[in-house]
Amino acid sequence: MYYFSQALVAIFLFSAQTTWLELFSFGGVTPDLILVWVVYCGVRFSRAGGIGAGIALGLIQDSLSGGLLGVNTLSKGLIAYFFSTLKDKFFVQGVIPIGIFLVCSSIFDGLVFYFSMGTILKGEVASSFLYQLLPVYSIYNALIGPFMFMILDRIDCWVQPNKSNFYMGTIR
Amino acid sequence: MPNQGSKNKRNIVLVSAILLLSLSLMTWNVKQEKGTRFLDSIAGIILSPVQIFFTHTIQSASDSINHYFFLVNVARQNDQLKLEVKRLINEKNQFIEHLARQKRLAKLMANEEDWERKTLVATVIGRDATQWSKVVFINKGTQDGVTDHLALITDAGVIGQVIHAGINTSKVLLIVDGRSAVDALFQRSRVSGVVVGMGDDECQLKFVSNTADVKVGDLVLSSGLGGIFPKGLIIGKVSKVFKKKQGLFQEITLIPGSDLSRLEEVLVLLP
Repeated sequence: MYYFSQALVAIFLFSAQTTWLELFSFGGVTPDLILVWVVYCGVRFSRAGGIGAGIALGLIQDSLSGGLLGVNTLSKGLIAYFFSTLKDKFFVQGVIPIGIFLVCSSIFDGLVFYFSMGTILKGEVASSFLYQLLPVYSIYNALIGPFMFMILDRIDCWVQPNKSNFYMGTIR
Repeated sequence: MPNQGSKNKRNIVLVSAILLLSLSLMTWNVKQEKGTRFLDSIAGIILSPVQIFFTHTIQSASDSINHYFFLVNVARQNDQLKLEVKRLINEKNQFIEHLARQKRLAKLMANEEDWERKTLVATVIGRDATQWSKVVFINKGTQDGVTDHLALITDAGVIGQVIHAGINTSKVLLIVDGRSAVDALFQRSRVSGVVVGMGDDECQLKFVSNTADVKVGDLVLSSGLGGIFPKGLIIGKVSKVFKKKQGLFQEITLIPGSDLSRLEEVLVLLP
């Protein structure tokens, strides 16, 4: 039941990301639901589970994008690794810590793309990428993140009612 | 309880494993052009029905919302009439949508006889799963005769090329993507250059000499070189021209002829 629910969440998030999320674009930027989910998996799952989920989601995102295969696997895998490792050392509950983590993750994700585009693919990147697109992308993810954490918490609570340690603290 | 040394070792192993896996995938992808075919096809098969469902739902909802405002005044008359009008309006919306689609298709097909290639109408069902690549998915694949490196156009001009044809969906690289390059020429002066995407909503026309006669508003067409885009298709209009005091080439910015953020039906130019 748990894995089935996660598969449904994945199908919904990837479909939303590739279809109607465009309607909510701000300055040509849309939030990255997959990135938020990877951060959630990192702080929510066991260490191996979080890293595995990060790599798997990155790989699927790579195959649903026109970029270089492996770029999202790398960034999402490392983001999941960092949060799986750091969750025991930092306070990761509440809107502000989650927002800060998402800003950092978004910047890291964007920079991985920026350097892969510039070095391996030798493609053009808009001059506004670093000072305009990336900050908007980070803030947008940070704003949508806590809300998405709350929804994912609720799904987890519904599927696994005995499990505690939810991250937005609004369950029950 | 593992000590600090073994924890550090485990961390190093984990990070190395992630790096190794990612770099192997990148190397595989760069060396072998068809490397992502299997993964792409699987992802496409699983997601395309949901993408099609979402796309149709959004279009229907958008039509309903647009036409609801026309309905408000009529609906005040009486409940029965309101219901009747609603029914008729809904019916009308469907016809309007059909008519609009037919008009778009007629526009698309208008020049078909002028082209040497056959065409196939496709619907855009999804966009790139990341922020950064300018890619769309269409609902036609190899079973419809679509193959890699086919050109896609609308009545307003070139939009991109197929970079991966799956079984029932295909991935299209738009001309605004940072990796896209199309050989082009100006309609007025016949000077040639290369249109490259910038990863945002505009393109740049590169390698146009500083002495060439270029004006804002000049139309840029495909030159036919490269073998993917037939000669004479509209790529876009010049929006900015900057001549450097030092340097060989001008900095020219183009606005694509087609509105790439609102793509619905497109034509695939078959071989």
